[in-house]
Amino acid sequence: MKNLRFIIPLLLALVAVLCFTPAAWAFCGFYVAKADAKLYNKASQVVIARDGNRTVLTMANDFQGKVKDFAIVVPVPTVLKKEQVHVAEPEIIERLDAFSAPRLVEYFDPNPCSPPMNRALNFTAAPPMRHTARRGDRNLGVTVEARFNVGEYDILILSAKESDGLATWLNRNGYKIPRGANQLLKPYIRSAMKFFVAKVNLDKFEQSGYQFLRPLQISYQSPRFILPIRLGMINATTEQDLIVYILSPKGSAEITNYRTVKVPSNLNIPLFVKDEFGKFYKSLFQTAYIKEDRKVAFVEYTWDMSSCDPCSANPLTPEELKQAGVFWQDVPIRPYRSSVFITRLHIRYTRDQFPEDLMFQETSHRELFQGRYILQHPFTGNIQCPAATEYTHSLPQRFEQEAQNLARLTNWNIQDIRQKIKLSVGDLAN
Amino acid sequence: MLKDIRDYQILFLSLFLILGIGTRDWTLQPELIAVAITTCLTTQYLFSLVVGQEKTLNLRSALITSLGLSLLLRTDHWTTMVLAGTSAIAGKFIFQFRNKHFFNPANFGIICALVLTPNAWVSPGQWGEDWWYGLLFIGTGSMILQRVGRWDTTAAFLGAYSVLEAVRNFYLGWTWDVYWHRLMSGSLLLFALFMITDPRSIPNARTGRVVWAVCVAILTFILRNNFFLPTAVFWALFSLSPMTILLDNLWLAPRFSWLKRKVSTLNF
Repeated sequence: MKNLRFIIPLLLALVAVLCFTPAAWAFCGFYVAKADAKLYNKASQVVIARDGNRTVLTMANDFQGKVKDFAIVVPVPTVLKKEQVHVAEPEIIERLDAFSAPRLVEYFDPNPCSPPMNRALNFTAAPPMRHTARRGDRNLGVTVEARFNVGEYDILILSAKESDGLATWLNRNGYKIPRGANQLLKPYIRSAMKFFVAKVNLDKFEQSGYQFLRPLQISYQSPRFILPIRLGMINATTEQDLIVYILSPKGSAEITNYRTVKVPSNLNIPLFVKDEFGKFYKSLFQTAYIKEDRKVAFVEYTWDMSSCDPCSANPLTPEELKQAGVFWQDVPIRPYRSSVFITRLHIRYTRDQFPEDLMFQETSHRELFQGRYILQHPFTGNIQCPAATEYTHSLPQRFEQEAQNLARLTNWNIQDIRQKIKLSVGDLAN
Repeated sequence: MLKDIRDYQILFLSLFLILGIGTRDWTLQPELIAVAITTCLTTQYLFSLVVGQEKTLNLRSALITSLGLSLLLRTDHWTTMVLAGTSAIAGKFIFQFRNKHFFNPANFGIICALVLTPNAWVSPGQWGEDWWYGLLFIGTGSMILQRVGRWDTTAAFLGAYSVLEAVRNFYLGWTWDVYWHRLMSGSLLLFALFMITDPRSIPNARTGRVVWAVCVAILTFILRNNFFLPTAVFWALFSLSPMTILLDNLWLAPRFSWLKRKVSTLNF
């Protein structure tokens, strides 16, 4: 009996080592690079925080021209008052982008000559882990529902009776409306939507001392969970990238009128990709986009925002989440709803494949998914033992698999990839 | 080739499931499909024992219901699937009028899961709008509808719905590709061909079915465009299912039977 007293804790300790060490190893891969929104030339970024029918929409401003020329017209479901419009800090979108961007992780092979138990553990290192009315305006059918100033922006909320009148009104008031816009304004007018119109107040902008225009944030109550993309496509001839961050207390969000597809993930790729991860992810995305016939929305990240693994950036603080539009954390009566679940959707759209505005729904799906690509470094130290031969012989096959993964993901030439692998790992590849 | 029409239905629904998992990368979990099948078959068996009104055990219909649930209902919890499966089959036995159930079992199960649990959802966009899926659904669906003689229901539903959407599209001034995009949804076709055509629960007489299908289309249209419900079709079918009793009284026709198909086809 006395002996048992020693044996039981020992056995327990062993069980603990066997059970938990792989998990510890499994997550030791650390984050090395990310493919964030800066990769794309014309990427718009939108943050939608939604609980029930309440929506807080933050639109990043990537306007490149002269500040005085900036103006946007966004169809909105309700009339917005001054307290429903805010100016957000650009950093908040950068934070969300960095937190949710597709990531590259790396793991290192251990010495194959070390005891077998450890080796078995180490090879599990890449686990599979599971987007005032003015007189005269009346006869154009345009009503100015509200006019106010927020930060560096002058805001107008318009309602209209017919599209030609609205287009004329906007042109008369100094907004350059692209040709063909009135045709596109009509469906929104007839759906009883209002128009959120913003331009820059130059005096305020100079006073503010900001270099760039800050994101506009609007909040409203409406059962419509949509994002109008058609207006933005009036003059577009090429494809446009849109990154939507959806924050919900429930779970991940998806698009209801287009397919939502996960971006290829959790694959081992050659080591040289470390130096060209941005290029790699762009090719990967383009390849997946073509493969899905250019008409799906890609999920790049779905995660509970209280954690990340591996982290490409620290999770957002409650204060930052609030800035991003999260409003339900202030209600302490409903503690189970205090969580924030993020879905990062990446949509590359063109006029012909995306004729309809995007419609979303939140679901209770809480699967954790991330665009994650794995580098597995071979052991390069001096090894001399029977297991070493086996290990060395297994490497070329592994490199070949990584080369094929990369070729399939990016559509790059397999011969070039093999050549680059040889250069990067040298003798090990033979 | 296969004797019972329901065998074709089982075959086609299984094919869609395999295609869905293989090519549409859904968040479908095999264990949940197993749970759905087990629950539906068990509930059917238990109710048959207790009620004992049918001479032969109707496992085919229960299997079809479970495949329908697997195709349409999404959840992360197996308990939700158990609830959906149980209520789907139980609804068939409980909500009867003159020995005829009037709720579509899979639809009833989906509505129960959506209302009673916080973790069920339906993904209307999951099939996309690929034309070959449309053709596949129409092809396989028509094979079955031809045999059970329920083309009228699908035609009335799709006809009425597409006219309403066309009027809306014209009124709003959207280009016509928006219209086609809305109509080409794989989920809508699957619903129109495989769900509202269940010959056992919908009205028996042709006129009754046409009136009923048009009502389902109108309600779907209103729920989708005025109340912005992504699950509009399921709610429309659910809320109009009891209307079957009324329509069966207004237009009389013998009830459909899987086993006496030849007798009932005489009515068409």
